[in-house]
Amino acid sequence: MKRVQLQRWSSTVLSPRARTVSRLHQHVFATGSRCQSTASPLQAESSAQEGPGDAGFEDVELMKHVRSAHRRKDMLKYPSPPVDAALNSAKLAALHARLYLPSRLPPQTLARALVDASADPNPDFNNESLATLGHDLLTYYTTEHLLCTYPRLPLTVIFAAMYAYAGPKTLAAMAREWGVEHASLPGGEVDPGLLQFRRVAPGSDLSVATYNNRTPRPYAAQKAWRMTVTSKIFYDDEFGDAIKGPATSGEGVTAELASATFVRAVMGAIYLHAGRPAAKRFFEQHFLSRHLNIAQLFNFSQPARDLARLCARENFELPVARIISETGRKSRHPVFVVGIFSGKDKLGEGAGASLIEARERAALAALKGWYLYSPLNVRVPSSMEEEGAAPWKPVYVDLGEVIV
Amino acid sequence: MPVKGIKTVAAARNGVGAFILQCKRLDFHYCNYGGSSRGMLAFLTQTLPNFARENPQIEIRVSPRHSKHPIIKGHYINGREKSICVRNLEPNDILAKAMILKDASGEKLKVQKKPVTSLNESVRGIWSPYHGDLRGV
Repeated sequence: MKRVQLQRWSSTVLSPRARTVSRLHQHVFATGSRCQSTASPLQAESSAQEGPGDAGFEDVELMKHVRSAHRRKDMLKYPSPPVDAALNSAKLAALHARLYLPSRLPPQTLARALVDASADPNPDFNNESLATLGHDLLTYYTTEHLLCTYPRLPLTVIFAAMYAYAGPKTLAAMAREWGVEHASLPGGEVDPGLLQFRRVAPGSDLSVATYNNRTPRPYAAQKAWRMTVTSKIFYDDEFGDAIKGPATSGEGVTAELASATFVRAVMGAIYLHAGRPAAKRFFEQHFLSRHLNIAQLFNFSQPARDLARLCARENFELPVARIISETGRKSRHPVFVVGIFSGKDKLGEGAGASLIEARERAALAALKGWYLYSPLNVRVPSSMEEEGAAPWKPVYVDLGEVIV
Repeated sequence: MPVKGIKTVAAARNGVGAFILQCKRLDFHYCNYGGSSRGMLAFLTQTLPNFARENPQIEIRVSPRHSKHPIIKGHYINGREKSICVRNLEPNDILAKAMILKDASGEKLKVQKKPVTSLNESVRGIWSPYHGDLRGV
């Protein structure tokens, strides 16, 4: 009978923290080569090996090793990497160059943008303040772009477009596409080029945190009450979702949320160090350059009814659906092409397998044609902040969507 | 509610605005003893500093790998790795291999059948049998 190899078996079961007594780890820790590790800091059981009073060594090389070992042990005390560690991180320098960040933005600030509030609660060393500024800039630039480019969009679609451009999911995807790696656990000895945050404990219920929100909306506990779209502008965030309160200290955050905070913090850091034009350029290059088909964000429930109300509001003639062409009415695959006409103007056209379906599609096309109107030569208000900007001409402001 | 919004994520188009180099890390492994690493050792001392200076967006790691052939390993943003064995190669050839890894996207190599792949709809539209003149057969 073969004996079970206990050593190997236990190493797969136990976490790295519990294996501090293994000889390899003692060796690694003593030589202090854990500088770029993403593993959790080992609890210093062997820290008594070298006392601070051994200054009598003549061997310069050995003294250098001892000093660096002491320095690294000091680093274990901090919740996030010290500021001067940013200058020695290859990962951080590579990230700085990969994003083509302005040289006026020092790597120390980029390192600070990578430290989440859940990793280091001290506001002087985490990215919370930078992220707040970056979030405001992001939402401002995105909103003015959407409102000026598509002045007739319904509010719910604006919320969805805002979410698609600057929502946490998109920002997390951007951080992934920038090649930002996550540290397993935050700590002073971790490479400053890694995103550091305390993770949510496995198995914890995320919906509890959203329930515990601090929205200013009155009667927020009444879940069954109808929430109007207009009230979402006043009480909710830029995506039409309820505002969540700040995370209580000690709790972790999801990787998505931490990545989104990092991207916002980078935006804020660029604004602070390189100024407004650089921040705007960064926004245009990284956010506006993403592909979003606004026509696919609409979800109509009754397009024919909406179109009738819209025509009544705009004093158009009542829309009428007419068959333009058809084939195989009695066959297994009939196709009807239906146009919606207001007087002599064709508002939209659609093809479907039944007359009802074709009419719905035609009404949908007509409504999208109205809502997706985009003026030529769009200018946004923030373009007036540039030097030598032409005088401002008011942009087109629409009545808004029809109320049914 | 007349119309609802559908929540999506805007798709990335690398290079339309900013361009992110997909190679994020290059590992250079060499052996101090083996003869196949002779060119690699020369490359590391002569060519690599300049290469690193020209490509600051790549993190470069140099580490010995005892009694093994020298290799270059590229780590990519999509999470994949590519490695090239550079045994017995001259420094210039090793530089060419490093450039291959640097320019790669990290994806598996595949045959590109279409001249253009795009997220945008076709400008001309899809041909419809129900529009235009009907012709008798």
